[in-house]
Amino acid sequence: MIRQPISTRLAILLGILSVVALLMGYTLLSYVQHLDNPDDTTIPTWSQLGEGVQRLLEANPRTGERWLLLDAEATATRLFLGLFYGIVGAIILGLLMGCYAPVEALLVPPLSLLAKIPPTAALAVFFVLVGTDTEMYVAMIAFGVLPSLAQSVYLAVHDVPREMLYKAYTLGASQMELIWNIIVRAVYPRLIDSVRLQIGPAMVYLIAAEMVLGDVGFGYRIRLQMRLLNMNVVYPYLAILAVFGFGMDYCLRLLQRVTCPWFIRHGR
Amino acid sequence: MEYPLVLEIQDLSHWFGDNLVLYNVDLDIIRGEIVSLVGPSGCGKSTLLRAIVGTHPPCRGQVAVYAAGALAPAVVLKPSRDRGIVYQQYSLFPFLTAAQNVAMGLMLDQTSLPFRFFRYLSWRNLRRRHLAEAVALLEKLKLGHAIHLYPHEMSGGMRQRVAIAQALVMKPEILLLDEPFGALDEATREELQRMLLTLYQENLDARRMGESPPYTIMIVTHELNEAIYVGDRVVALSQFWNWQEQGHRRCPGATIVLDQPVPVYRPDEERHFETFIQIRRRIRHAAFEPSVLQDPQEYKTFATDLASGRGEGVLQ
Repeated sequence: MIRQPISTRLAILLGILSVVALLMGYTLLSYVQHLDNPDDTTIPTWSQLGEGVQRLLEANPRTGERWLLLDAEATATRLFLGLFYGIVGAIILGLLMGCYAPVEALLVPPLSLLAKIPPTAALAVFFVLVGTDTEMYVAMIAFGVLPSLAQSVYLAVHDVPREMLYKAYTLGASQMELIWNIIVRAVYPRLIDSVRLQIGPAMVYLIAAEMVLGDVGFGYRIRLQMRLLNMNVVYPYLAILAVFGFGMDYCLRLLQRVTCPWFIRHGR
Repeated sequence: MEYPLVLEIQDLSHWFGDNLVLYNVDLDIIRGEIVSLVGPSGCGKSTLLRAIVGTHPPCRGQVAVYAAGALAPAVVLKPSRDRGIVYQQYSLFPFLTAAQNVAMGLMLDQTSLPFRFFRYLSWRNLRRRHLAEAVALLEKLKLGHAIHLYPHEMSGGMRQRVAIAQALVMKPEILLLDEPFGALDEATREELQRMLLTLYQENLDARRMGESPPYTIMIVTHELNEAIYVGDRVVALSQFWNWQEQGHRRCPGATIVLDQPVPVYRPDEERHFETFIQIRRRIRHAAFEPSVLQDPQEYKTFATDLASGRGEGVLQ
């Protein structure tokens, strides 16, 4: 029957089953591929993958650098700094737009236009303005996530019922208290939701930009190894990105659950 | 006999562009009263209430509030802490528990953002006192079991009870209730009506002791029975009056067409349905009947009724 619930045990079992099927499918695929061509690197066997991981982790005998650490540091710095500036800017702009009609009239048109420019396409602008270092990626991510984040903060502010604001005034709230104690509190869980949705795009922008212009970072390494058909390095990188994205999402969800026990999403 | 005023509405008119809503509303509210405001839907009850709260100041005329003991009234220009409000919904902050919701007013009123930030330790001590005060008030309103619940975990009746506590903790000069029990089922509704009557009993006790009654309430409702039961005075707003005879070419807006004292009940007292039916018929005739266009003064008998000793409760 449609929407018939199943037991938790069965749900877990099915989840495990699908992962096992995925891994077995891959093993089979690579086995078949290696029957044709024992030197194939496009669908590496598990042992080839192990070698790839080893290459990621081992220190370069000349420079002492390790790929994974090098790339992770560069990519994570760019991503977190970019997200940080983007989120802070979006909160400030979104709150101002939601609270003050003149700011709203001033900023809504340019933001809705800017939101439509693919940030990777605008990379040239940041390249000219701030150079090719970390700043370029940070600026690209920040400006990439800012318009849509600011818009969702602004919409969330608009969704705070007027009654609640009037109520706060009758309790003696000042303008700043209204923003800080009422609006920010009410908007906060929805901000977390929006940030969760923006992590994916931010990673897309960053990896794409690193593929084009990077000299270090996940995107750069993937492009390089892709050209050499070293898929045993590329796949572990993809897996790391997947786990990272999932972990970020999970942490934000956890944060929301712990800090906003009052928050119930509509339609649940 | 002199009655101390709390609220004074003078010559208040309101319109939205071409839409004329209120016309020359005059109303004096006495300290300790529970005034029920009724009227046909769309007659501007909520507009009048908004003018009193101060969120939408009137186009003409004014609302003024007498602080306790003050001789001159203060004109209402914006919402402030001397007028509490409970809406049908959204009165509570969803991100605060019941106790925090009630303590919110104390916090906003007594402290400022810089104080809470820079003198965090003093703030924490004060906060503890605020919460204790909030819990005490909630317990008084029989909500001791709900102090840690969030609004979405409460029933509709509990939410409105907490909302009333949240407004009362400020000790407002007047508490405004905008269709507060409209979304509740009959049993819960009656329970909350009795709660208001309990508060009214405190007014009577205070008067007996020679003190000023602590609660003045104005309740907007579309339920005539509720209006008569809860209030000691009913005021009806209506667009059905003899504006044509007074030289207007179109209706200039709703005005007060009925103002009279009604019987006061103790919370445990049985209602006298004969009286209810009589008063209801009178209100229907004065305010709800489009074909009856009488002089607005005809049913505004409040002042003369009081003078002849027909007021009950604090109006005696």
